[in-house]
Amino acid sequence: MRRFGWLRVTGAFLVAAGLQALGSVLIEGYSEPFAIRAQLVLSSLLAVAAVGQTLVVIVGGIDLSVPFVIGFANVVAAQLYGDGWPFPLVCLVVAVLAAGIGAINGFLSAALKVHPLILTLGVGTAVQGAVLLWTAGFPTGSAPEGLTKFVSIGAQAWMLPVPWLVPATFVLLLAMMLMLARTPFGRRMYALGANPVAARYALIGPVRMWTLTYALSAVFAAAAGVLLLGFTGSAYADVGQPYLFQSIAAVVIGGTALTGGQGGYLGTVAGALVLTEINTLLIGLGLQPSMVQAALGAVIIVLVSLYGRAAHVRTMI
Amino acid sequence: MPLITRETRVALVLLVLLVALNVALNPARFAPSAWGTLLGLAAPLICAALASMPAILGGRGGIDVSVGPAMGFINAVLIKTLVIDSGITSAWVLVPSALVMGAGIGAVNGAIATLVRVQPIIATLGTYLVLSGLTLTLLPAPLGGAPDWLKALSGAWSILPLVVLAVAWLGFKRLPLYEQLLATGSDDRAAYSAGVNVTAVRFLSYVVTGLFVGVAALVLTALIGSADPTIGPNFTLLAISSAALGGVSLAGGRGGFLAAAVGAIDIFLLQSALTYFNVSTFVLQISYGLILVASICINALPSVLPKRGAA
Amino acid sequence: MPPDAPLLQAHGLKIAARAAAFDDAIRPGEIAGLAGLEGHGQEEYLETLAGHRRPLAGEVLAGDETRIGSAAQAVRHGIAYLPRDRRTTGIFPTLSVVDNFAAATPGHDAKLGVIGGGARRSRFAVWRERLSVVARSDRAPITALSGGNQQKVLLARVLALKPRVLLLNDPTRGVDIRTRHALYEVFAGLAAEGMALVVLSTEIEEILRLCHRVVVFRDGGVQARLDRAEMSVERVIAAMFGRVA
Repeated sequence: MRRFGWLRVTGAFLVAAGLQALGSVLIEGYSEPFAIRAQLVLSSLLAVAAVGQTLVVIVGGIDLSVPFVIGFANVVAAQLYGDGWPFPLVCLVVAVLAAGIGAINGFLSAALKVHPLILTLGVGTAVQGAVLLWTAGFPTGSAPEGLTKFVSIGAQAWMLPVPWLVPATFVLLLAMMLMLARTPFGRRMYALGANPVAARYALIGPVRMWTLTYALSAVFAAAAGVLLLGFTGSAYADVGQPYLFQSIAAVVIGGTALTGGQGGYLGTVAGALVLTEINTLLIGLGLQPSMVQAALGAVIIVLVSLYGRAAHVRTMI
Repeated sequence: MPLITRETRVALVLLVLLVALNVALNPARFAPSAWGTLLGLAAPLICAALASMPAILGGRGGIDVSVGPAMGFINAVLIKTLVIDSGITSAWVLVPSALVMGAGIGAVNGAIATLVRVQPIIATLGTYLVLSGLTLTLLPAPLGGAPDWLKALSGAWSILPLVVLAVAWLGFKRLPLYEQLLATGSDDRAAYSAGVNVTAVRFLSYVVTGLFVGVAALVLTALIGSADPTIGPNFTLLAISSAALGGVSLAGGRGGFLAAAVGAIDIFLLQSALTYFNVSTFVLQISYGLILVASICINALPSVLPKRGAA
Repeated sequence: MPPDAPLLQAHGLKIAARAAAFDDAIRPGEIAGLAGLEGHGQEEYLETLAGHRRPLAGEVLAGDETRIGSAAQAVRHGIAYLPRDRRTTGIFPTLSVVDNFAAATPGHDAKLGVIGGGARRSRFAVWRERLSVVARSDRAPITALSGGNQQKVLLARVLALKPRVLLLNDPTRGVDIRTRHALYEVFAGLAAEGMALVVLSTEIEEILRLCHRVVVFRDGGVQARLDRAEMSVERVIAAMFGRVA
């Protein structure tokens, strides 16, 4: 199973590389440095937004509150910074609030054994409503210059021709891989996702684990929201909407099964690259946004059917 | 199975409260003479909630998130392609077309989810994107022109589609397929060992979902009297929330017509009452989210409260 | 504490409404058997001892007289439990052999919060040797192992908790005859080292062969207690069916 998992991750990276090659052949300027930088930045944003989805899927859940928490962080950060708060404090407040939202998601789902799909949707909807109410629907504020530079496609990270976001995402990738593979918390996450009943006998408390995991998920969604503030320059409560399905798709294309207990963040990063490639390629080919969306749907199904298939019932008996 | 399960009770209590609240707030809107219109307003969501149920009943992550976009797509094809471009307004063509399109979409979903074995949420998420994309391509902007007979189905005759659906559901319950679907949803391994063709049963559950989506699309078209490319996708989450609120277990194996219908009516009445308060849509959104969370939590409470003699 | 002091005691324990309360004491070095027809209370008793189930009345006390109220507390007091159905309550099917082994003790190999892969494998190697687990590799998926070897890995998982009392729920179910005998020897060896074992078994022959005494359950209460000299297939069966043993 483990070797098979690597096969899926490698497969996703190969698909991304293949799409890049295809794009270079079909579209002029597809592999220009600026175009590649743009792809890396967009992929990094998606990768950050999908950290949480990866974690909750590994423990056997799903988090539909991701887009709402992204929007929440985006608006709250802009508003507070606009009110003159120092930016580090803004980040801290946003992270703590997000962790609280996530903890509610995880705690209620696990303690009451409610399906997280509806619960996270309900909590997310309420959170977004609260944000809109607070700002009366017209969020104001702005992004600090440093943040804009951190994510700007044209910026440089030291000697590298990419903004700091890209190496930072790489560090995040290493940290996540370490956490999942080499910490007791990470190993417990896989065990809980693989077999919740056996996990109980192995003294892995589902409520504590889910509360922590969903809190982490929300913190990373909030990070994506703040980064998007730097990217777009102004606050928008619906900025996270595309990430609802994209975060799930990135996880699944990366070989993490929605049934829990397997997969990893490297796959999700590969999935984020694939999704960004497909998007860029289809737009580059001159498709209308609506057709891009349709094609994206078809491609996701084809990709997942190639290497993300579930087991037949007969193999589970 | 009893007609009203424990899970549906919370939704029923909520229903009584919401009806009382709505009638107190706005007697005119809830007067008997307005029932037809009222039902017409609620009907698309009721149908959508019902449509989302068969796929969920099959268990093991069974779900159809493409319900909303499928309604939008059928709505667009009915009005744009059939009525406007081809001049067909006959019910004898439009109704079967909607059902066939629904069943076809359901069959595609079912094939991807059960034969190709892509996890249902991903499979139907894919068709969600495909259908909403196609709808926008076919119909970049809203377009009027539903035939009068269809519009009548959202007014005086709004009870008709719901009765048809109820009868269809009762018929479905008499089929061996229904029993097999519940068995599969409760424990697919046991069902498989007992000789149930689990794959076929699950596949058909998506087709049934698709058929109901066809009805939901007709009812939606009747209500809006036009084709609108943006209205469909909203129904997915509302429909699944309705089903969950009514006590349909997202883990499969438990649910029914009343559960989904009561859940949908709850959500409709909730929106209706909150709109009347003239509160901002933001308060509406907060209340909607919180009530959704509260109800499913209350639904779940009895099964997790510690019992003596258990862990 | 005298060397023979009980490691685990049941005081006035009531696990079914209709049954009488009973006492029991589990002492170091003994292998106690639990028998009874399916659903007559022996499994509830074992899970109560493990802290996984709350009794209707009475209490379970660890060796130092601490009342056991939860599974986590039981483990802290050296009481480990191996549940019955491997497939549903034991293995983590998507994980490797060594992951399955370390699932209950992932923190034991961590330094500064990071697990050392080598430390984990060498910790497993000790048990692999002792229980003679046959596995192509520690990193192979657990599902690639035979039922018997999966069971040995699960046994290693609970033994890694370094228990003084080991509670086993039908440990040889679905295990081939050779592995079964190997497990008997392991159990006897552990008891000889001073560990106390409580073995629930659905096979009377197994109890006769392995256990120093047996408690037979009927209708949620204790029907009979037989020591080694009194144990026989007939008497155990008689007690299981409610005829006084």
